[in-house]
Amino acid sequence: MSLQTLESKMEEFVKVAFDIISFSCIMVLVVSGLAIIASLMGIFNFAHGEFVLLGAYTVYVFRELGMPEWSGMVAAPFLVGAFGLLLEMSIIKRFYKAAIAAMLATYAIGLIIRETIRGLIGGKFWAIEAPIEGVFLIGDSSFSIWRGIIIILTITIMLGCYLFLTKTNYGLKIRGAMENPSLARACGISTNKLYAFTFAFGAALAGLAGALVVPLYSLFAELGLRFLVQGFLAVMLGGAGTFEGPVLGSAMIGAMVPGFQWLRTEIPFISYLLSPVFAEVFVFITAIIIVKFRPQGLIQKGRI
Amino acid sequence: MTDMKKSKANLASRRSFLKGSSALAAAGWIGALTGGFVLKPDWAHAAGSIKMGIATDITGGIAPSGNANWQTAQFAVKQINDAGGILGRPIELILEDTASDPGIAVGNVRRLVERHNVDVILGGITSSMREAIKNPIVKRGKTLYIYPQLYEGQECTPHLYCTGPTPYQQCAELIPYLIKQGNKRFAMPSANYRWPQLLNVWTKRIIEEHGGEVVLEEYFPIDQVEYSATVGKIKSEKVDNVFLTIIPPGLGAFTKQLYESGFQSNGGTVSCVYYDENSVNYVAPRELEGVYSCLDYFHTVDDTFSNNALAGYNEMWPGSPYKLTAGTAATGMYRGIKLYEAGVNATNGDLDRAAVSAAIDGITNVQGMGGEFSMVPGTGHAAMNMYVAQANGGVWDIIKSANQVQPNECA
Repeated sequence: MSLQTLESKMEEFVKVAFDIISFSCIMVLVVSGLAIIASLMGIFNFAHGEFVLLGAYTVYVFRELGMPEWSGMVAAPFLVGAFGLLLEMSIIKRFYKAAIAAMLATYAIGLIIRETIRGLIGGKFWAIEAPIEGVFLIGDSSFSIWRGIIIILTITIMLGCYLFLTKTNYGLKIRGAMENPSLARACGISTNKLYAFTFAFGAALAGLAGALVVPLYSLFAELGLRFLVQGFLAVMLGGAGTFEGPVLGSAMIGAMVPGFQWLRTEIPFISYLLSPVFAEVFVFITAIIIVKFRPQGLIQKGRI
Repeated sequence: MTDMKKSKANLASRRSFLKGSSALAAAGWIGALTGGFVLKPDWAHAAGSIKMGIATDITGGIAPSGNANWQTAQFAVKQINDAGGILGRPIELILEDTASDPGIAVGNVRRLVERHNVDVILGGITSSMREAIKNPIVKRGKTLYIYPQLYEGQECTPHLYCTGPTPYQQCAELIPYLIKQGNKRFAMPSANYRWPQLLNVWTKRIIEEHGGEVVLEEYFPIDQVEYSATVGKIKSEKVDNVFLTIIPPGLGAFTKQLYESGFQSNGGTVSCVYYDENSVNYVAPRELEGVYSCLDYFHTVDDTFSNNALAGYNEMWPGSPYKLTAGTAATGMYRGIKLYEAGVNATNGDLDRAAVSAAIDGITNVQGMGGEFSMVPGTGHAAMNMYVAQANGGVWDIIKSANQVQPNECA
């Protein structure tokens, strides 16, 4: 193999690795809020996709008010977090004892948010600019700067969340309240406050995710819904009850999506078996097979 | 200079969107609740008015196009009524919301036929909608039906007339032009449904006839968000032109990934035959720049009739986010109403379906957006002018026009 072909192979490898890691990070970012609420509170938040949508919508509103996109991205987690807090205090807290009813309630909330935003954006699709557009070059291959930034931000945020939950006093209380609520209350910890905070925190993460990914996909009413099913699959795959489980699960789902597409285009035999449509389905099939053999999830409950 | 002015006007209208779109969307919500809306003419005739049913998507996913269709219908009918109606009789408009949902639409369309007893129905935007409502209208309803959207062809039902461009009309001029410009290797990334599949059959045939080559043809789920592998393939296959039929919501991710791969900056070109004046909203400016489209009308088409009609529409709906463009079927809606007017004129006022249908079949040289059109007898389709255009700072520069392109359907 000549040096030149080796070089181009290396370049291609870097390109594929970047694509896989960047989509993996996008999935982690989008699913993390869902994972925190599902794992620490035991609530499957069907409105999660709409929290993501709200974050994206915040960027759009800021832009239409004449402010730069990045200001909307900074504001999104706070605004959506505050919205989540209000929602928890008014509605969600009534459903902690009934998991199924909670799903239905959050589904209804999601529907209301989605259709309201659909009305507000006129049912259309809107292109949103990233604060830093453009590409950087490695050899002949170009890489999206914004995707690069999303990779760095995702790793930072996930590390921050992990340290917060494992190393801080507040994180310990959250884990305690989740493990044994009555004992936590007996120790003088206000579980109500903790739950409200956790829900708001999950909502804030969803809002941030929506704000950061909207430049990649444009704004439309189903933006969050698009990721919801894959999100639940990720939580199932990683195992509800821990923080790092669903994060790992979503990273895997995120890697499989471009990974299978890449296999399909690069390996001649597979390209006949795997159409682009089936490659998407194949992600689910693979995940379900893994769940079948590891029903407790990749990481077992009670690790953190 | 005029281009610059137009592009500034465009930006200004985007600013005022919040007010306009939310108000109209709110109107849409109310419309969905009441179900059916009658717009009576402001004058009367002893023989009564001609009843025109509009069945379009006022709510749901296709609502932006549906509202543009409804506004266009009101505008065209106002023009006709203001000029004395058809042979002295005014047109009464009856709207039913098809709600972007074929299931809901069938019942609502039957109301047009059974309760309102309309003389003609225009509407439907997606092919699935047309398929759902054509039988209740044409067969069971025994009513004339005019379908206004650009579409995949092969609709040959009697008493159903198509006033939007067909695949052949959209490619016959565009593809040879692209090949002449030096584009030899084509990629066809597509959404996985009927329109791209059948459009691509024609496109591929014309590409190969002119010495080009299709090196990639793939069909994706409509909401796919990750295209890195395909974009990588487009690069490694040294594609010259990406003939795009991916639609939103998958579209945004694809155009961005393609642009960021350096495809355009390395000399690659993109073509997409549904892009029109609305595309600036959902495609980022730099990803839209230089893209080729081919449609029956662009705002930059310069003929007196179209200019006056566009000005009249904008005066009737100032600041509306729903524009009179080709990609939303609005130009087909306008053409359809003018076609029906010409048909009733030809029967001397007889509104019987068989009579009007027979007359419409042979109608020629009617004025519409983008110039005159003529029905091709026995096919239900129209020959019309087509324009190849290129996106330039938010406006479409016409780079080639062709008169009376044949539809090549149902022959």
